Amino acid sequence: MNWDTFIWFALPAMILLAGAGVVVYRKNSRVLADVLMITGILVYTIFIVGFWINIERPPMRTMGETRLWYSFFLSVIGYITYRRWKYPWLLSFSALVASVFICINLLKPEIHSKNLMPALQSIWFIPHVTSYILSYAMFGAATIGAFVQLRKINLKGISDKKIFDFLDNIVYVGFGFLVLGMLMGCIWAKEAWGHYWSWDPKETWAFVTSMAYLAYIHLRLQGAKKEKTALWLLPVAFILLLITWIGVNYLPSAQGSIHVY
Amino acid sequence: MIIMKQDHQRKMWQMPWGYPESITITAGIAFVGFMLQITIKEFNFFLLTSPVNLILGASIIGLCLLTLAFKKSKILRWFTGVPLSVSLITALLLLTLIMGLTPQTGSEAAASKHSFVSLLGFNNMTGSWPFILIYFTTLLSLGSLIVRRVAKFNIKDYGFYLNHLGLWLVLFAGGLGHADMERYIMHVREGEVEWRVYDSEGSVKELPIAIQLNDFDMEVYPPKLTIIDRASGEPQPISAPDYYQIDTKAPKGELNGWILEMNEYIHQAIRNSDSTYRETPMPGATPAAYITMYNPSTSETRKGWVCGGNQVQLYKTLELDEQYVVVMTVPEPKRFMSDIEVFTPKGSVKKTILEVNHPLRIDSWTIYQYGYDNAAGQLSSYSSMELVYDPWIIPVYIGFLMVALGSIVMIVKGRSSNRKTLLSDNIKEE
Repeated sequence: MNWDTFIWFALPAMILLAGAGVVVYRKNSRVLADVLMITGILVYTIFIVGFWINIERPPMRTMGETRLWYSFFLSVIGYITYRRWKYPWLLSFSALVASVFICINLLKPEIHSKNLMPALQSIWFIPHVTSYILSYAMFGAATIGAFVQLRKINLKGISDKKIFDFLDNIVYVGFGFLVLGMLMGCIWAKEAWGHYWSWDPKETWAFVTSMAYLAYIHLRLQGAKKEKTALWLLPVAFILLLITWIGVNYLPSAQGSIHVY
Repeated sequence: MIIMKQDHQRKMWQMPWGYPESITITAGIAFVGFMLQITIKEFNFFLLTSPVNLILGASIIGLCLLTLAFKKSKILRWFTGVPLSVSLITALLLLTLIMGLTPQTGSEAAASKHSFVSLLGFNNMTGSWPFILIYFTTLLSLGSLIVRRVAKFNIKDYGFYLNHLGLWLVLFAGGLGHADMERYIMHVREGEVEWRVYDSEGSVKELPIAIQLNDFDMEVYPPKLTIIDRASGEPQPISAPDYYQIDTKAPKGELNGWILEMNEYIHQAIRNSDSTYRETPMPGATPAAYITMYNPSTSETRKGWVCGGNQVQLYKTLELDEQYVVVMTVPEPKRFMSDIEVFTPKGSVKKTILEVNHPLRIDSWTIYQYGYDNAAGQLSSYSSMELVYDPWIIPVYIGFLMVALGSIVMIVKGRSSNRKTLLSDNIKEE
């Protein structure tokens, strides 16, 4: 198996993932969603295994090969988290993002060894970034949920316990992935640059973001107290997250960051 | 609901303390920090070099353990409670937010400039008094909380223990240990043994570790081709230069209106006497490409070898007209590695191939592939290594492991795991 045969695995896998992402919203088709998703992941896995055997080295060298793993881990971890938490959007979202990376590989393969600088050639690269993408997805959902809850409070004067259960759980799960992503970054940094934490601008902003979600988690420990403060913290934290993710490169304070590439 | 009522009737500073008192006291600590910053300037972190950090660390642990004697104290309940933790987290958030918005130019720039930013230590946040004081308060508060919760140990709280004790370890060992960290650069010539290093200020020091460099080797990516103006050397078109990334699987490209076709590429080439190239894998070999350039607007064709050259081989360009030539860029490094032997003070010898992302760990030392003679590239006669001494790395990594496990608990269990115990705990306290 090589990149020429990729399309014969990529298309069926994408159709299966998309199918799972759609039917999961129909109450009676949950089992069908499971079957579609697992088959999709299997088809994709067969390609990776065949490809690995064919090229006689782990497929982790080129950008295209990296994206193979993004799609794989996103769909696998997305599916496991969906099974654990039963939120259908988790499955749809991970299927969607996994498909986006498959499409990029089909349209703009970059299958030839790209000039990945030595520091980026690390086994931590993929899990570090995948973990962050997953946590960003959860925090995005939490932000929307926070607005829904704030509206409920304004209209009815009382919060909806179900929404708070969702918010608290999804922030816990998102925070877990955020911290894992951060720790893998730390270990990678120690391997490549000599220290696990250097207050590089991106690191500083990642710290700021994590503190905001940590404040939410602790605020919520006292139940009914400070509900609105906690809810408003979620969109604020998400703005900080977006600055960490995208905005840092534009800040004057971040010139010379090692994370700009 | 009872809790809320109490909160409304309670006056400020009346026990039990809640958010107003926590915010006021946290702000007060930060204020004291800013006053110290203005009057006695920044905190000199290297005052904490061993054994000062060991004594300080032992005192912090001692203080945290001492809180066991005052289990019933309302002040201590507050000191380890949620409102203060939220206030401290917020304070850390705000200070690091300022840090993220202010270029961290460090203490030297601060001394020369007397601006508002440097007066308050914003441009060297982690060395500023407010940050240090909030950091130590967090260590004490979190440490006392852990001691209190461990005292009434409940195995069901394993998620809590992993996350909190892990974070405390990281903060404790990472912060206090920072003063003991040493970083040096060592340049070793091929075939020689070296033990002299340079510190960050450029002064020479002798280390108990010696490194022998047997061989330095480097692999490069295929380079790029571009058209430059002979007079200025500028890649064309100036506004957005065209580059063709050499790739035998995609041998066609376009450069500044010319159609490029690469007919042959030799990654390790040596020049023949007739200015052609042959494949010869040996030191001094350099990438070379035979290309055909075709200009559709004038129907002109140019053919020839292009080579970037290096210290031992001349470069070769392909002339298009009087103004423009095709050139090859300097290839980018793909891997560079040093075959080394390390002699430790204990008398043992370690042999390894050092590479970026693959450092060598010996006791508290970690040795990294750092650099090489950039001008010579593959022909570099020396290799630079970074030697990092960090005796506190083990506790930090134990902390990492605990927090990682704690994070997995959070992902799997969500909020449900801690809810009951913590809520009952809080109600009991109130």
